[in-house]
Amino acid sequence: MSTFNAELTPKRRFLRVVHLLFLAFLAIQALAPAYSKIRGKTDLLVADAPLYAIIFIAAIELALILVSIFAKKNSALTLFADLASVVYILFIAWTLATAKFNVLREQLFPPPGIILRQAVQDARPLLGHISASLLLIVKGYFLAAIIAIPAGLAFGSSERFGTAATMVSKFIGSIPPVVYIPYGIALLPAFKTVSAMVIFLASFWPILGGTMSGVMLIDKPIINSARVLGVPKISMLWHVTLHAALPQILLGAQQALTVSFILLTSAEMIAAKSGLGFYVKNYSDLGNYTRTIVGVLVIGVVISLVFFAFNKLQKFLLRWK
Amino acid sequence: MTNKIEIKNLTVNYVERGVNNTALDGVSLTVKEGQFISIVGSSGCGKSTLLSVLEGLLPPSEGEALIDGVPITGPGPERGVVFQQYSLFPWMTARANVLFGIRQAKRGISHKDARLLADEYLGKVGLLDAAGRYPSRLSGGMQQRVAIARALAMDSDILLMDEPFGAVDAKNRTILQELLLELWQNEAERKTVVFITHDLDEAIFLSDRIILLTDSPGRVYRDIKVDFPRPRYRDELMGSLIYDDFRRELFADFFGDKNRAAENDGVII
Repeated sequence: MSTFNAELTPKRRFLRVVHLLFLAFLAIQALAPAYSKIRGKTDLLVADAPLYAIIFIAAIELALILVSIFAKKNSALTLFADLASVVYILFIAWTLATAKFNVLREQLFPPPGIILRQAVQDARPLLGHISASLLLIVKGYFLAAIIAIPAGLAFGSSERFGTAATMVSKFIGSIPPVVYIPYGIALLPAFKTVSAMVIFLASFWPILGGTMSGVMLIDKPIINSARVLGVPKISMLWHVTLHAALPQILLGAQQALTVSFILLTSAEMIAAKSGLGFYVKNYSDLGNYTRTIVGVLVIGVVISLVFFAFNKLQKFLLRWK
Repeated sequence: MTNKIEIKNLTVNYVERGVNNTALDGVSLTVKEGQFISIVGSSGCGKSTLLSVLEGLLPPSEGEALIDGVPITGPGPERGVVFQQYSLFPWMTARANVLFGIRQAKRGISHKDARLLADEYLGKVGLLDAAGRYPSRLSGGMQQRVAIARALAMDSDILLMDEPFGAVDAKNRTILQELLLELWQNEAERKTVVFITHDLDEAIFLSDRIILLTDSPGRVYRDIKVDFPRPRYRDELMGSLIYDDFRRELFADFFGDKNRAAENDGVII
């Protein structure tokens, strides 16, 4: 622990075990490829596949070297190096178990290079699926936020109404929104409308609940100091209530975003002709597990990026805390 | 001088856990324009309740409270308020807090004028450098300075202060008292100030008049004039014999029964 925050000496900057792992990854590439146990087309024989893995890992190593040179804090560099180590170890184990020794079922476990190669080849359709998915999120989630936040501010402002509305929203919010999907399909003709509606329903209650509890939890002195300034009603909601409740609103919004993605992918797997959930489901139905894994990983990357952006926004909005 | 604030036979009742309580019982009080009065009493004597009525946050149960002869019906920007805590909005910078107050008091003021005014008063309380900081990055004393700057920048006739220095450490409290006095004295038209405190020394140093309240329910127990000339200088004032006598008398009054009990104990020994 003591070295975690220590000063960065040249030794601490560049002499790290992670670089040995990188060399180990390069070294195992020299091993002979394993024999395929299946006849006909096999991933193990794709000649340029290892190249994708090597380029990917080399890019991480390059980034690590750049961070090593420019990092100001030991803790930041160590974190990055640790994450790189995890990726290296994963790639080494994965490569050995598939391409080099073929100890897993090769139909289900393609080597890392094959997956990266597939992702690059599918980049264009994948982008289409990503934007189809995000568009649904934007529609359902933002519509929910636009309605739930003002509604929550209004309901929460009355103690009596807010208490009752909180209980109702807790009850409806406790229903796993996945169960709305079949009913939604019966209710609405177009899949996209159904998904947007289900995402809307799933996001609405956490945001409404968060906003109402945020409003009801505002410290009385804050309200009083606004009242003694003679702040008019509308201005009060905008300049005071909304800001004071913002931490709770964002908590609800974050919860809603998590649920939205679960629902989005579930809905896409059930009834869609586009989107990341469709991509995964479709290719696993066709027995193309390389693309199934690509889809799963891309979903992980997209959601991570969305949450990264959300957290940045949250930090910015709550910079006064 | 005209009567700025008139409180006539004010009674405030409140219900707590189904029990009726009386916070203030038949308080009558008149404050002249430009006067600085302190209301002193122990915790729970209803002095903050009295101020809440003047702030317009609490309606009287009986009697009335008037400002310029008009009954108070709610809060208004002609009364600037400084609370002990949470006067400022934590999501606004110091400057934004002052600006927000100015905009409530002077609707239609141009952005440029408002900003000049805000910076003028932040300068007066010595916080121009910290204008861009959020309250969470300011010490308790600095936060109160901003609150004072806002109340003064709003240019309200009346300043209501509810134990404004109660949560500030002793050294900063002294500095803030002197700053408040200086700012108040140097205003072209002195504001009427109602200052709540439980600190007698603070009350003597600041006020023209001290009102002592009795404990629950609050009633006016003493109404004492403080005649020390202004401008007052702490060292000069506190070193003087008249001050010592005045202070001793006030403390005796304030602790009334308790002191007598102690004297009796002494006699027995």
